[in-house]
Amino acid sequence: MLAAGEGRRVGHDTNKVLLPLAGRRVFTWAIRWARHLPHVVHTVLVIREQDRPTIEASLAREVGPPEVTVVVGGETRHGSEWNALQALAPLIESDQVDVVVIHDAARPLASTALFGDVIDAAWSEGGAIPAIPMRGLITLDHEAPVQDHGVAAVQTPQAFVAAPLLAAYTQADRDGFIGTDTASCIEEYAEVSIKAVPTDARNIKITFPEDLFLAERLLAQVDYDLTGDASATAHRRPHLRDLLRRGEK
Amino acid sequence: MEIAELTCETCDRVTEHELHYAGRLLESVKCTRCGVHMELAPRTLVPAYVHDLEQRVVSKPGRMLHRAMSDPLAYVLGLPRAVLRQPMKFWREFRAVIGR
Repeated sequence: MLAAGEGRRVGHDTNKVLLPLAGRRVFTWAIRWARHLPHVVHTVLVIREQDRPTIEASLAREVGPPEVTVVVGGETRHGSEWNALQALAPLIESDQVDVVVIHDAARPLASTALFGDVIDAAWSEGGAIPAIPMRGLITLDHEAPVQDHGVAAVQTPQAFVAAPLLAAYTQADRDGFIGTDTASCIEEYAEVSIKAVPTDARNIKITFPEDLFLAERLLAQVDYDLTGDASATAHRRPHLRDLLRRGEK
Repeated sequence: MEIAELTCETCDRVTEHELHYAGRLLESVKCTRCGVHMELAPRTLVPAYVHDLEQRVVSKPGRMLHRAMSDPLAYVLGLPRAVLRQPMKFWREFRAVIGR
């Protein structure tokens, strides 16, 4: 889980993944949805060193066991991913981790179903990325043709079979290669096919102020539950009005 | 209030923003560079706050239990102060929501 940001903040600003969102910090929502899957057993959180006190307090308050491993991020996204993989390396080498999922903590609405889909696809194909078709795009260069199909926006979580992923990043480190995202490093160094997995428009990245308002509304719409699990929905905590209705009966 | 860097569409760059909350809900955001300000309309804020307050009340016992289990001593020591803070906390929240 990448929560280190892009390294350009220098003041006392709050890292946006530490902002409150509907009663929890932005970054703990996605941890919650991912860990609802029983086969998600290890969580590594990549942070900025100056965020450590807030991160640790938030983990203690909002995230239950098992313990989350916290590592400090690198100068780039690639560096942060490499640091996380190094923390997982002993588990990957001892076959305790089969698939690694890399997720941007600024996407708090990645549902449990989406985490499950990319893990399943990565296990069968080697790698999986959520992609959403972009329609109605035009080029600013009027001489270029209009692109109205075959273009997709890529999101996280991205999942990859663990051993080739670790090997690719190890080789990239030796070569000094810095990829723009996980898939770019895999494409460069591993013979792994990457499957595009359907996602949905709710999996927004907190970028603009409006995104925070939208994320709050979307969470409220689903009663703060993106597990999508029928049994979990049935046992979800009721609202007060539901309790009162039951009391009337 | 929180300060965070978010992308301002008016400035077309990442800028510092002030974020104001009513309870757990984001009430307004202002770019400190250009002053662009956005806030929830009262007709949206009030029902959203009520909905959120219901969820907070219903989930409170579970959250208290989680804290009591994870650190019983700190929970017991902090409880009187937490209880005493509630009236002022809710007064501030109601004022922020209804006073708009």
